[in-house]
Amino acid sequence: MAEIYKKDINLGDYSKEDLIKFYKEMVKIRKFDENLIRLMHEGKVSGFYHSGIGSEGLSVGSIVNNLRDEDYIFYNHRGCNQKIAKGVPLSKIYGDFLGTIEGTTKGLGAGIVHSADPSRGVLGQCGTIGSQFNIVVGTGYSTKLQNTDQVSVCYFGDGAASREPLHGSLNWAGLYKLPVIYICENNGYAISSTLEETHSVREHIADWAWGYGIPSCVVDGNDVLLMNKVVKEAIDRAQRGEGPTFIEAQTFRHRGHFEGDAYDYVDKAVINDWKENRDPIKNYKKLLLENEICTEKDLLSIDEQLDQEILEAIKVAEEAPLPDPSRIYQGLFA
Amino acid sequence: MSTKVKVKTISMRDAIIEALTEEMERDEKTVLFGEDVGKFGGINAVTKGLYDKFGGKRVFDTPIAETTIVGAALGMAITGLRPIPELQFGDFVGIAFDEVFNKLGKWRYMHGGQMEVPVTLRLPIGIAGGAGPEHSQSPQALFMHAPGVQIAIPSTPYDAKGLLKTAIRDNNAVLFFEHKLLYGMKGEVPEEEYLIPLGKADIKREGSDVTIIATALQVHTALDAAKTLAKEGIQVEVVDPRTLAPLDKETILGSVRKTGRVLIVHEEPKTGGCGAEIAAQISEEALFDLHAPIRRIGSPDVPIAQSIYLEQFYRPSEEQIIEVVRELLEY
Repeated sequence: MAEIYKKDINLGDYSKEDLIKFYKEMVKIRKFDENLIRLMHEGKVSGFYHSGIGSEGLSVGSIVNNLRDEDYIFYNHRGCNQKIAKGVPLSKIYGDFLGTIEGTTKGLGAGIVHSADPSRGVLGQCGTIGSQFNIVVGTGYSTKLQNTDQVSVCYFGDGAASREPLHGSLNWAGLYKLPVIYICENNGYAISSTLEETHSVREHIADWAWGYGIPSCVVDGNDVLLMNKVVKEAIDRAQRGEGPTFIEAQTFRHRGHFEGDAYDYVDKAVINDWKENRDPIKNYKKLLLENEICTEKDLLSIDEQLDQEILEAIKVAEEAPLPDPSRIYQGLFA
Repeated sequence: MSTKVKVKTISMRDAIIEALTEEMERDEKTVLFGEDVGKFGGINAVTKGLYDKFGGKRVFDTPIAETTIVGAALGMAITGLRPIPELQFGDFVGIAFDEVFNKLGKWRYMHGGQMEVPVTLRLPIGIAGGAGPEHSQSPQALFMHAPGVQIAIPSTPYDAKGLLKTAIRDNNAVLFFEHKLLYGMKGEVPEEEYLIPLGKADIKREGSDVTIIATALQVHTALDAAKTLAKEGIQVEVVDPRTLAPLDKETILGSVRKTGRVLIVHEEPKTGGCGAEIAAQISEEALFDLHAPIRRIGSPDVPIAQSIYLEQFYRPSEEQIIEVVRELLEY
């Protein structure tokens, strides 16, 4: 059965720069998100947006200082978090939302799904949710056959975990001992359906991995440092040739499934508890201040810098032209 | 084939094995996998000997999991390998439909053209010995409706080898449909290496009275019918598109303009089969060159019976072809 992952974190194991980097990346993601929602309200961005506010600790913890450009990720439906943590320039992501040629798809338009940055190992995402389970065993097989130490990370939500391909994928990854890390972003809800309503599991989603002989655990996904540690261990395991790991990271979304979702299927008190007491950024900030890693003033200055960086990225994305109509005929074949 | 070229006579099965062997020798990034394709050599014996030659890492048996087989192929392709997955029966593409329709064909495009998808997915098709409704179908036409995938459907050992080698080297996805009854059929193949481009139809027999456009096994039925009709002085031209996507419209229209009469024959249900699309394209561009309506012979629009006696009635016959050709000439 999946164990609850607990480790004593010693701040002394991290440099001050790294500790601040975690903060900075989480705040960058949140500010990116808040500004994107603003652009939606201004009518500049259409479509469905799945906000990642509330789970920044999960993405930053798993990626920053863990994954290199050459490590592959398949991000999930709240995947801007992961793309930003993996280093995709903000202007490129805004460009995809705005549909300008600055975007990674050069104007095809892409929000959460379908943007990619292969140079940073960001290989895309499936619109048919959870289909990345199949693809990631291919990237895992590929790196294993080519004898590299690259790892492939597959992000998915608790909703996607009910897709059948998860089982085909776990079977292959376990069977061929592939360097694949499964990270389930369990925020408790598949749109409005709860985990209990949609999953037949013993206790945790991670329990499934046990059946396939894959090491697994359940972890507090809102604790950025704990997340960093558990993924580091999974990477080490993969690089030792010991195969896949399944991490179920528990978190919560502060906003509805998509922008415009009334989010009235969750008790307000529950949402407020996560916002007030379990916010990954708020708690981490407290940790930094209490341990005198930095001052309130330092953090404020980081926030201000990020505000500026984001406004500049939006400007670059917005000022880039829309694609020529012939764009739709480009890029089908290599 | 030019007489100067040294040729050998081999089966389509051996032609495919040769193509796979040569391409795997040529590029160590090629990987072949599927159900029972390893030590066993494939249920149709089309991967025989490859496991021994290239080892279990490059030729491996997979669990029964078509979704994973095709999805994994995409993952391998976008990270530097050149995967050649096999589905044991083409019918099973239904299990991996999302992976073929939404992934192989769209991954590159929808992510802004930033990746290559050199997947060659082999799919055995066709009625062969009482295999029943889920092991006898020819589902290739489904994918003429799927931008981003290419479709090869050879009818001879020569075409199979040349097309497969091209497909494996191509940096885009190719669905490679092989009729099970053709595996044992023999034909001439050059000793020297050669490639056949995708999108180039082959005129298998020249004629001036009627154009028959046929695929896979039906190319041979059409050729048999043409031979019989020639005895009556009717000259039938048999065009084999060889690839349905890209489709060589130029060769097809050229033949249609020459004869003015068209019959399309395929072992797919008539409704929505590849003939429907080919007929539509001909009528859009060459309607006034026609002396008669475009005719199609396909399989009946019902599932294929398990009975070995009944299944023959799903396959277009020489007699049917001869009858329709005569009707076309009456206009």
